[in-house]
Amino acid sequence: MKRQLIAAVGVAAMVVGLAACGSDAKKDDTKTGSSTAADGKKDYSGKTLKVWLMSGSAPKGWEDSVKTEFESKYAGSKVEFQVQEWTGIGPKVTAALSEGSVDVLEVGNTQTAGYAATGGLLDITKDKAAIGGADWAANQSESAILDGKQYAAPWYVTNRVVAYNKDLWAKAGLTATPKTLDEFYAALDKLKATPGVADPLYMPGQEWYVYFGLLTTEGGKLAKKDGDKWVGGLSSPEAQKAFETYKTIQGKSVTGAKDKDEAKPQQKDVFGKGDVGSIIGLGWELPDEKAIPKDKIGFFPLPGKTADKPSGVFLGGSNLAIAQASKNSEMAKDFLAVALNDKNEGLVAAAGLIPNKKALNDKVVGDFATAAKDAAVVGGITPTTPNWAAVENEPNPIKEFLTNALTGDYAAAAKKADDEIAKRLNAKQ
Amino acid sequence: MRRSLIGRTWPNVIAVVLFVFFVFPVYWMIVTAFKPDKDIVSKTPVFLPLNATFDHFKTAIDAPKFWTYTANSFIVTILAVLLSLVIATLAAFAIARMKFRGRKGFVLVVMAAQMAPWEVMTIAVYLISRDNEMLNSLVPLTAFYMMMVLPFTIFTLRGFIAAVPKELEESAMVDGCTRTQAFVKVIFPLLAPGLMSTSLFGFITAWNEFPLVLILNKTEGQTLPLWLSSFQTNFGTDWGATMAASTLFALPVLILFVFLQRKAVGGLTDGAVKG
Amino acid sequence: MAVHSERVQTQSPASGKAAVATTETSAHRGGGAGTPKKSARPADGPSFGSRFAPYLLLLPATVATLALLGWPLLKTVLVSFQNLNARQLVQHLTEWNGFENYTEQLSDPEFWSVAGRSVAFTALNVFLIMVGGSLVGLLLNRLGKKMRLLLSIGLLLAWAMPVVAATTVYTWLFETRFGVVNWFLDTLGWHSMATFNWTGSQYSTFFVILLLLVWGSIPFVAFNMYAALTTIPKELYEAARMDGAGAVKIFTSVVFPNLKPFFLATTFLEVIWIFKAFTQIYAIKAGGPDGLTRTLPIHAFLEGTGRQHYGTGSAIAVLTILMLGALMAYYFRIILKQEDEL
Repeated sequence: MKRQLIAAVGVAAMVVGLAACGSDAKKDDTKTGSSTAADGKKDYSGKTLKVWLMSGSAPKGWEDSVKTEFESKYAGSKVEFQVQEWTGIGPKVTAALSEGSVDVLEVGNTQTAGYAATGGLLDITKDKAAIGGADWAANQSESAILDGKQYAAPWYVTNRVVAYNKDLWAKAGLTATPKTLDEFYAALDKLKATPGVADPLYMPGQEWYVYFGLLTTEGGKLAKKDGDKWVGGLSSPEAQKAFETYKTIQGKSVTGAKDKDEAKPQQKDVFGKGDVGSIIGLGWELPDEKAIPKDKIGFFPLPGKTADKPSGVFLGGSNLAIAQASKNSEMAKDFLAVALNDKNEGLVAAAGLIPNKKALNDKVVGDFATAAKDAAVVGGITPTTPNWAAVENEPNPIKEFLTNALTGDYAAAAKKADDEIAKRLNAKQ
Repeated sequence: MRRSLIGRTWPNVIAVVLFVFFVFPVYWMIVTAFKPDKDIVSKTPVFLPLNATFDHFKTAIDAPKFWTYTANSFIVTILAVLLSLVIATLAAFAIARMKFRGRKGFVLVVMAAQMAPWEVMTIAVYLISRDNEMLNSLVPLTAFYMMMVLPFTIFTLRGFIAAVPKELEESAMVDGCTRTQAFVKVIFPLLAPGLMSTSLFGFITAWNEFPLVLILNKTEGQTLPLWLSSFQTNFGTDWGATMAASTLFALPVLILFVFLQRKAVGGLTDGAVKG
Repeated sequence: MAVHSERVQTQSPASGKAAVATTETSAHRGGGAGTPKKSARPADGPSFGSRFAPYLLLLPATVATLALLGWPLLKTVLVSFQNLNARQLVQHLTEWNGFENYTEQLSDPEFWSVAGRSVAFTALNVFLIMVGGSLVGLLLNRLGKKMRLLLSIGLLLAWAMPVVAATTVYTWLFETRFGVVNWFLDTLGWHSMATFNWTGSQYSTFFVILLLLVWGSIPFVAFNMYAALTTIPKELYEAARMDGAGAVKIFTSVVFPNLKPFFLATTFLEVIWIFKAFTQIYAIKAGGPDGLTRTLPIHAFLEGTGRQHYGTGSAIAVLTILMLGALMAYYFRIILKQEDEL
């Protein structure tokens, strides 16, 4: 019996020991947190700024450039970049904002209003000028404005263009890139008849960003505010007209499944096989150099109905925001000023993304970026409203609407999606 | 004679079919991991990795903080398993061999605890951890993982202890052993398979856990499932790297299984001989 | 059930050690130093230590369970009565809203269809797993040494596959364009399957999930069954044989009763595991297409964490726990009855 007793006591002691470990960790945490009381105005020595970036987002060399510049400008300070994965990012960011465990974070432009409404983002309206906000591109900056207040700084946007396999297009006898949708369709038909082309255009049915662009062209909206209630906009005549175009384009795709999005399978892999004529995608959805050499891929904006204007695009992008709970908010503002200065935004432009200032647009280089820049003029973003992020949550009703409308009745699919969009947008905060 | 021949052939045929059924996904994972991209997305599947490449493994290992994740995973998993074994053995012995008031209630709690849907309780766990400043630490993670496997471990060990014929223990006690000695000398050796199988279960559960670590440890103390999921970004799946990462992720578990399973079987026969 | 278990109990002393069995009662009560036999109360042992020994042994487990499970559970219940969304979470606000989350769910037809689907899904899956697993277990027992090793390796690999990895592999196997399953079906002559989209419809998606779960769960049941078969003490077979029992009689009087507790426990675990299955269902199609493969845990996650309506999610979680409890009530009764026989 005695030994049993001893064993039981031993385990109890272990449990107590563990609890002690727990409080040690606690002490450490508060230590890093409390050592932030600022005495000198610009003295950030000994302080570490935690910056969250999304996986695959920052252009090459950007992090190093910003870190070096900031740390040499403010001697003794430290910038720590943490790359976050996309999986479950929404709850993760909310949680981080509630803890104050992050100082500066990258937020998607369609999500910014949502995070701002939680009270988790710092209002930087007053600091806008100091950060360099005087000449931010209006169509980028507006995504970060809620109720007239600026909650984030625009970082960059990018948009989809048509990427095509030059060899296959040449083989099909196509010499010029199409200027109108009709020319585009004709080119795809020609490609389809060309031996060695498995698919003239790989496009899965749930490419809702493409649909969004077409909807913008028609002057439609995914959702509108009616009084103080949101209503879905997919049942509108504009939406249906946009969908007809979408359906025609998607119909040209031989292998694109009607219920898949651009992520599964990766367009990069499909296009990289070498027997796909074209895709509609972003700069980082291009195949590796090994699969198709860079100079074998050409780009053009998705044409419009007439030659004067390309089809609309979705301006996907990222903003940089400061957490309300950050204990280093002054440091964070100075960080934004460095991170978004012309030199570092130039790196963004050089990577083929569209920078936050029109003045830097001439720094945008590369075939992709040139095509993207042309289309960006007719770009738009989703409604700037706190609940918009909820609409994009999986299962995304717009994606399901596209599948349902492609395979069945438009009106029913649109109604179902509109109801869901309205439900999510009108949900209580 | 004829009956026994059929009786011998059919089970073997079925066994081979079942073997293929169970092994193929694992095989396919490993083969894909070694295939160059061109072979992965080819119309006719390539069944043998003749152009084997280590590129995908390199991509997987070169991912940021891979080694930190690995170390964290091992620390958390091993600690959680060991702790649960110690705590569970004590409890299992009590409920398998002792009579006391409240025993039934405890058994009921253990069974109910097995039903705990941890995935939907993450937010509660998060709020508790946040409000007690226990985030980004391996300690709460270990504790919760321990708890996830504890009920099963108690339940299973209890079964193993109960399965040891009481007479064995009692004859040892007749021979002059104390109850504790009887436990150590008689029950414990027979418990080996139980300890093995429960630690395997515990290892797998803790090794795999994803939703909790995702929300609890965002900046530090991350584990391998997070790393594995990083290959499925918003822009799709890099199948080669994903399969390479899956292979690496599965490897420790596979090794442990082969190792422990042999021991477990050994323990089983040992027990039989001694019994 | 109770009848069978009693037979196990009465049989084991009969297996040849009656002399030992008589000392059982006194030995059981702490050292056997002249304890009065009549005592039915458990806690009347002679020494203070042995009286509290069981409680001390249970103490760590109890403390851990209360702190690490009881507390989160309580918190879940509390949150289920709150309006807790992203804003409240970020600003650390507590807004009680009574039964609102519950009435919202209980009056939502989707909740009920998800609940019904969960039960049907669990029943079908567990049935397949238990039947399949038992047959494989029996097969293992019957095979020769080499074949048993081969099949064991196969089962072991499937079992050892971490769920996260296995699910990823299945997504890859059933991939529309480059998946090996579609290629195989096409090669067999079923050409319409060449680019079949497995996650396009409810049933084909469920098929993949089902296969994944069955594939991953059978090894546990099979090994358990096999282990149960081998742990039956040899004396029992011998005793039965000496009594002149044939193969059938041995199965019904020795194997079956000995196996039944294992079988019961395994079914119990499988019901819980399948009902709670999350990673497999979520990773295959996140409850899609059109929410048609949502089960309760997925529903709770998507409505709660996914949409950051944590109060709603917690209410669904509580309802899930209650439902699982109701499903399990039968098992609880059986197992508690067994406790009486110890």
